[in-house]
Amino acid sequence: MPKLVTRYFQLLWQQRGMASLGLLLAIITALSGIALLAVSGWFISATAVAGLTLSAAHGFNYFAPGAVVRGLSISRTFGRYGERLATHEATFRVISHLRSDMFAALARHNWQEQPLNSHEASGRLLDDIRHAEALYLSALVPGFVMLLSSLLYLATIALFLPSLALWLILPVFISVVLIPMLYLQRVLQPQNNLHQQRNRQWSDAHSLFSNLRTLILFDRLSHQGETLTDSAHLADTTEQQTSNARQQVLIINQLVHAAMLLLVLWQGLNGLAAGELAGTLVFMLLLLTLGVQEVIVTGSSALAAFALGYKALERIDQLSPAKPQRDLRLFNEPKHHQPHIVMQAVQYRYPSRQAATLSDFNATLDADHWYWLTSPSGQGKTTLLQLLAGRLQPQQGKMTYTGLTANQVAMMPQQVSLLQGTLRFNLCLHHDFSDAQLWQALQTVELNDWAKQLPQQLDTWLGAGTQLPSGGELKRLGLARLLLLDRSVILMDEPTAGIDTERSQRILERLRQRWSQRIIVISSHDIRLMAADDKRLSL
Amino acid sequence: MSQINISMLKQCRDGQQLLRLAGKMSRRENRWLTLLGMLQTGATIGITALIALLINSAVYAAEPSHWQSEAWLLLAALLTLRALLPLWQTRLADRASINVRNQLRALVLQHCASLQLTLEQHFSHAELSNLLSNEIDSTRDYFAEFLPQQRLAMLAPLMIIVACFWSGWLVPLLLAISAPLVPLFMIIVGHKAADASQRNLTELTRLGNLLADRIKGISALQLANRCAEEQQHLFRQSEQFRHSTMQVLRLAFLSGTLLEFFSAISIAMVAVYLGLLYLDKYQIGMWLDTLSLSHGIFLLMLAPEFYLPLRRLGTLYHARADASSVADHLLKLLQQQPPTQPADSRPLPRGEITEVSLQKLQTGYADSPIGQAHSFSLTRGQITLLSGPSGIGKSTLLDTLAGLLPPLAGQLEVNNSAINVYQNPHWQQRIGYMAQQPELLFDSIRHNLCLGRRFTDAQLFDALKQARADHLVAELPKQLDYQISDSGGFLSGGQAQRIALARVFLHQPDLLLLDEPTANLDQDNADAFMAGLQQFTANGGIVLISSHRDAITQFDQIIQLSADPSSEAPHA
Repeated sequence: MPKLVTRYFQLLWQQRGMASLGLLLAIITALSGIALLAVSGWFISATAVAGLTLSAAHGFNYFAPGAVVRGLSISRTFGRYGERLATHEATFRVISHLRSDMFAALARHNWQEQPLNSHEASGRLLDDIRHAEALYLSALVPGFVMLLSSLLYLATIALFLPSLALWLILPVFISVVLIPMLYLQRVLQPQNNLHQQRNRQWSDAHSLFSNLRTLILFDRLSHQGETLTDSAHLADTTEQQTSNARQQVLIINQLVHAAMLLLVLWQGLNGLAAGELAGTLVFMLLLLTLGVQEVIVTGSSALAAFALGYKALERIDQLSPAKPQRDLRLFNEPKHHQPHIVMQAVQYRYPSRQAATLSDFNATLDADHWYWLTSPSGQGKTTLLQLLAGRLQPQQGKMTYTGLTANQVAMMPQQVSLLQGTLRFNLCLHHDFSDAQLWQALQTVELNDWAKQLPQQLDTWLGAGTQLPSGGELKRLGLARLLLLDRSVILMDEPTAGIDTERSQRILERLRQRWSQRIIVISSHDIRLMAADDKRLSL
Repeated sequence: MSQINISMLKQCRDGQQLLRLAGKMSRRENRWLTLLGMLQTGATIGITALIALLINSAVYAAEPSHWQSEAWLLLAALLTLRALLPLWQTRLADRASINVRNQLRALVLQHCASLQLTLEQHFSHAELSNLLSNEIDSTRDYFAEFLPQQRLAMLAPLMIIVACFWSGWLVPLLLAISAPLVPLFMIIVGHKAADASQRNLTELTRLGNLLADRIKGISALQLANRCAEEQQHLFRQSEQFRHSTMQVLRLAFLSGTLLEFFSAISIAMVAVYLGLLYLDKYQIGMWLDTLSLSHGIFLLMLAPEFYLPLRRLGTLYHARADASSVADHLLKLLQQQPPTQPADSRPLPRGEITEVSLQKLQTGYADSPIGQAHSFSLTRGQITLLSGPSGIGKSTLLDTLAGLLPPLAGQLEVNNSAINVYQNPHWQQRIGYMAQQPELLFDSIRHNLCLGRRFTDAQLFDALKQARADHLVAELPKQLDYQISDSGGFLSGGQAQRIALARVFLHQPDLLLLDEPTANLDQDNADAFMAGLQQFTANGGIVLISSHRDAITQFDQIIQLSADPSSEAPHA
């Protein structure tokens, strides 16, 4: 069983109060509905028979059944309302937890080697996860209610007319067990195809709109439009097949139900003729059957709903990495040592490549100098920084951090990501910093003027379509984040790309004053920015 | 089959009207569906009557009547008919909804083609992709089920009322009185539900955006060691979505409960009423003085059937709400006006393009000009930088020069003769354009490069080499046939940009328009890219490149754009 399915049931167990309330109400509702029909049927048959003789009519206690009928109709109505609220509440609570759990699983993993497909991942966490609702809502609850009702139904019939109960075992078995299995078998496959084809259709639509300029210039707009129309048509056809398959199974179910009805009527009337059954009960049994059939119909898709939810969880589960990554860096904290990092015979090879990017690399890094990586692209500058930050793990060699802990290492990647949110959020990233601290950091990286001209200053919303910082501004935002984090080991990947040289020099000078006695490694092309006592790390 | 065109749809006042109009496309299927539904109700009435008669005769008469075997046969036949009818209904309903959705999609595509870049002004790519896939798809239930059921919800209860008149007048009267209450309550509840449903959609969008953004930016959170806090944040947003969904559902379930209530109470009322009637407590509402059991059975079984179509309609109510918000969205798109300036297809002056000169060219959308009018020239063999802060109109100017947007004023001269380049295929064939977001189709790299034209693999690899993407493609599985997926798939931003650039080089344009081409490149690749451009201009090309990076490298001409009218001036 996929991990996520286990997790789903754990979460459902945590919500057991609400979940079992929902189930209880569902049972009450179903049974009241069936009983309402049956009792009403008995009541009018009994009164009709009693009405034939004056004395019987006089002595008939109609208050009790009348009250029962009213009570059942009320419990059916309010039971239904409560059931729906409780089952949905329980499900949505589970989904909320599941969603944030999944995000945490993604966040525990470093996606350097195999980049995360963010569109797919967010789609799974938003939409696919909602298929998992079906597990409890459309599978467990209706399935259980269906089984219970049909067993109680057979028992009740057996009580009044045992021979009829024997007759009914087969159709009930077909309807409750075989039909859901058939439904599962016929509907699941086309449903899966449909899911993929709809995704394809979305991709084609997205291709069209995100390539508008290219498609117009190359006169390919109508061609891409046709591709989209074709994939939509394909998906529509599958949708039609799915709904046909579903309907065919439901029709078999309906035919079984029609046969059940005839059986009950035939056996009931036979029983009446043979004196085994009172005249007042034939109609009651018939309505009982109708009531149960209504419940069974809602349960016939239960098994398929379960499979659908299970599959969805399986798909989401595939997102999370198969094996957890271990941090191979060694941290020790003897009191009297200056903090330093020793790398011994470190080797790293990307899984997709033949040759090692970094091999037999040795270095000792301390807080006395800044270390510069200036070798040309492709020789492993970024790889080394990622190794130091623990975002890649070496295949060979040892990395020892003395006088340091893992969360004292900070890194600014080459691509600084801007998150949707205010400038304040983008600087703090869930840490607590005062306004004064934020402004000071902005001043250090010369973003204070830029921030001041924003409409709401620190509380301005940043992101596509609103205020989008330029490449250089984004780099400086990354530097401001580093300043605020205030860690002991600071790794910077191309921090000055896109910033002109004079400004880079001014900013770096300020950083040198702020960051004394820290281990600093910086990768850059611009050797003019190096200070006299900086050291070059050659790869 | 009726045809609907854009001008009809665009005049709709609201989404509801658009839906009604669109529904007319499947008028014929709907008529059949109504007919089948009525046939089904007729069968139900027949079945009920036969059961009533059979039980009646068994209870009252000792001897079996002569008509009994025919009655059994008829009953079996009607039951079978009622079970089989949904098969035809589904077929018809699917056909109807597919037909409507196809036509809607075609209309939207046609309209998008005429809007061209004006589209981007009010709609994001994701929004449009969702509209043409999920959103239009989601109207299935509305066109396939809601529309036919709407008419049936009136006709089927009417048939049952008429049938109930067989026994007396009180039961049909009770049903008839309760019937209008149902839609009344539903309208009241539905009104509130629509508001809540709108809020819920907003919450969903918010949650979706948040998820997409945080997953994309997951590394920033990892580096700040703040993933646990973000998890909490996402959980809270998710819970907020749950609350708003539950708000909608509470209202939706309320309308469902209401119908449930009416159908349950009608059974109770009919049962108690008939019971008392049989016991001779009173005598009212029936044609006959002594009532046989068959009337009771008939009425009691039909009472819940009376509300069944309404209950079905109630469960489809969400389909209507969803379809209506899709229709609002569609209407917003269809009411966008395409640019009025006619396209031009006059050929360019013969020979090579040596100079492109802008004469007080004002760019912008419709009535809103963006930035100042531009006057400068691009000459053969030169790289010109368009510089200035974001939002100043660099991208709009490039779009206008590519003939994707009509200029608002001024004109463009090519080799000293004025020419209208807007949607001019002769002009557009000679342009190489790379937009800010590298534009790549979810297709193979080969198709992305060729775009319908023919090239040899050697030519493709030459172009890739020029864009420094040859090694990148050589390392991919299946190389040129590698399928690109979602927004670059497993290509990074920089890699996608280099492939888009290779396409530009491949088609050997005269004028190269590049919007922020180095934004996603690391320093090495950016330098190499500039070297590639130098080579392109050395062969006689013209390059206009926009950037708002702080650093400025070697250019032949720099155009500084600013909001201040006096300061824009070319300087070499």
